[in-house]
Amino acid sequence: MPSTRTILWAATLLSALAFLGMTVDSLRKLGARTHEERLSAEVIEGKRLWQHYDCNDCHTILGIGGYYAPDVTKSYAIRGDAWLRQFLKEPAKMYPAGRQMPNFHLADEQVGSLVAYLEWVSEVDTNGWPPAPEGVARAESGGAKVFLAQHCNTCHSIQGSGGTLAPDLSHEGSRQTKEWILAQLNDPRSHKPDSIMPSFKQLPEAAKQELADYLAGLK
Amino acid sequence: MRYKSQIVAREYFLAALLLFFLQVVFGILSSVKYVWDTDPLLAILPFNVARAIHINLLVFWLLLALMGATYYMVAEEIETEIYSVKLARLQLGILLASGVAAIVGYLFQWSFGLPFLEQPTVIKLAIVVGVLVFLANVGLTMFTNHQTLTRTTATLLGGMVMLAVMFLFGIPFMSNLSTQYYFWWWVIHLWVEGAWELIAASLVGWALIKLTGVPRQRIEGWVFAEVCLVLLTGIIGTGHHYYWIGTPHYWLWWGAIFSAAEPIPIMMMLVDTVRHMLKARRLATVNTLGLAWLGASAFVHFMGAGVWGFGQTLPQINRWTHGTQITASHGHFAFWGAYGMLAIALMYIILPEIGGHPTEKGTKLGFASFVTLNFSMIFLVMSLLIAGIVQVYLQRIMGMDFLEVQNQLRLWFEVRLVSGCIFLIGTVLLLWDLFRLARTLPAGERAPEPQPETVPAA
Ligand code: HEC
Ligand code: HEC
Ligand code: HEM
Ligand SMILES: [Fe+2]
Repeated sequence: MPSTRTILWAATLLSALAFLGMTVDSLRKLGARTHEERLSAEVIEGKRLWQHYDCNDCHTILGIGGYYAPDVTKSYAIRGDAWLRQFLKEPAKMYPAGRQMPNFHLADEQVGSLVAYLEWVSEVDTNGWPPAPEGVARAESGGAKVFLAQHCNTCHSIQGSGGTLAPDLSHEGSRQTKEWILAQLNDPRSHKPDSIMPSFKQLPEAAKQELADYLAGLK
Repeated sequence: MRYKSQIVAREYFLAALLLFFLQVVFGILSSVKYVWDTDPLLAILPFNVARAIHINLLVFWLLLALMGATYYMVAEEIETEIYSVKLARLQLGILLASGVAAIVGYLFQWSFGLPFLEQPTVIKLAIVVGVLVFLANVGLTMFTNHQTLTRTTATLLGGMVMLAVMFLFGIPFMSNLSTQYYFWWWVIHLWVEGAWELIAASLVGWALIKLTGVPRQRIEGWVFAEVCLVLLTGIIGTGHHYYWIGTPHYWLWWGAIFSAAEPIPIMMMLVDTVRHMLKARRLATVNTLGLAWLGASAFVHFMGAGVWGFGQTLPQINRWTHGTQITASHGHFAFWGAYGMLAIALMYIILPEIGGHPTEKGTKLGFASFVTLNFSMIFLVMSLLIAGIVQVYLQRIMGMDFLEVQNQLRLWFEVRLVSGCIFLIGTVLLLWDLFRLARTLPAGERAPEPQPETVPAA
């Protein structure tokens, strides 16, 4: 009959071995789960910059890091390419009030690498994290709510609240018609070929209608 | 103090205390930024730099304090002088220089950019050298006298070796962020829920043997069981950090089951400490304040790590709470209880012996700082917990925007800031008291060393 001591020792050792075994297995599976084939030189450069500027002590990524600034795991999926590029160049313009991100005066190719990195991260299989908010349906009804939910206010302001990067929309209805606004949402470049406004074509038709009604009603 | 060389412990403690003070200052600077959005220091000390300095100082001062205590304890246990006082001082110099270089570097954007492991690689290598000097010095001290190598001392060495080995996994740059974080947790988690627990368990065991007069065999038996259970639950328990970082789904099972058992050994430590401490009442000389810190540490260790940790360790809950102010609440409570308070307890036990105040029981000032520090920390932890719960509800469940939610939390961030300021006052009182204790009394004023006592048979 082995003593309690021996049993404890053996169990502990066994658990350490099991842990190493699972580590080997996890590392093998990580390749596919993180799309390692898409880890291009640009993405890796983006990770290097992310570390160089110590972004991770303000932001969480994969939920790890500082809790001072938004988690960026899904930023690429939510904000899109154009928005991120614009934001990283001049963060203060997108969010004129509130907590600030410093301007790192990044060169264009640095911005490109960081965005490529964020794109890669957004595709990592995170077992469904972060969960889709259960109350989000609320934000989908009513044009004003779509406006906030789609973060139009990071560029535009209405009645003094919002960004300064794009025209103030407080009186949009007295400037443009609903049809024109819908066209702007579907394809901003149809009105201005070098527009930096992202396209919102992918929004559900109902949401676009509500949004356009709302803006056209702002006289 | 029985061996002249034990005096190096004091140098480690004094350095640790200064870093502790700075840690608190940088913590307050960081929390100001949560309250006032417009940050006048954005260009010179943005939040990330303040936080990096805050958490690096935390790790540095705790390590220095635990290392100092280790030197003191090993000499006493092995019944010999430390192998080399010069090496011990060299080691302290290397570690302090690396720490200062790292912190100054952060101010100039010189950073490796991983939380807790922001030290640039050259500095990490210097730290490795410092730790190797330490291991060699402690190891050589231990093996000068095989007969007296106790189980407690061996556990301590084991914890220190594990600490050093794990650190290596935090050094390389890995192109895949998921892999990087996989091994990042080998440092962060396997330190605080592995190596450091071994170190803590053995130092607590040693302090109990020393202060309570309970026979060594009984305490060592417990320490052994605790340490095995810490590793048994804590190693696979690392899986509670592998739920959402790209690692396979099975970790939701393994991580949950094993980490949910992690509070068991911590609970044992609490029960054990309190049980043995009660026996100390029967002794003639009792270091009341030292024992108060030791007992309170066991309790807050259990609350902060055991209860707060357990509260968010199951994936069904962690899915919502991961990476929020709830994590911050737990981090503060657990680090403070398990390691901060323990380090202070050890200073209260060791410094009077070095300075020739062996009958020290604790002064009014000392008790005042005990109360101030602990109460303000409870307020701090509670405000973060409430902020975290509101944050989870508004942001994760209702889908409100991150910054909008942060606005809603301002009141709790204000409570946190005020608690932090009161904590700073407590820190100043503590430093005052401990620096007084650290002064070597002139020979005439020294109290005689008390003889080791054992508990009289009941
Ligand atoms: C001092 C803290 C701080 C640092 C350092 C920092 N950020 Fe930010 N970041 C913020 C804050 C605060 C916001 C919220 C928007 C704002 O107020 O500008 C933000 C927003 C963002 C966003 C938009 C997230 C979203 O989905 O809304 C991205 C992307 C981002 N930061 C990337 C970075 C990158 C890349 C770096 C490093 C080069 C970085 N940040 C460094 C504070 C910081
Ligand atoms: C990245 C910043 C950005 C975001 C995000 C953004 N816009 Fe724009 N928007 C612009 C800019 C810049 C213009 C100015 C015209 C141009 O460059 O296309 C503009 C123009 C407009 C106009 C026409 C204004 C006028 O009368 O000339 C409307 C309407 C509009 N945006 C609506 C929206 C809505 C609705 C959303 C959210 C669904 C949104 N925008 C999101 C940048 C942005
Ligand atoms: C003994 C001392 C402990 C200390 C010092 C400690 C400290 C910390 C810290 C600092 C973090 C945050 C890490 C980061 O993301 O930056 C953390 C996270 C975490 N800890 Fe602990 N911990 C301890 C014990 C425990 C125990 C015993 C449990 C479980 C029973 C636990 C469960 C967790 C979990 C689940 C997280 C992740 C939170 C999240 O998802 O955001 N901890 N801990
Ligand atoms: Fe952990």
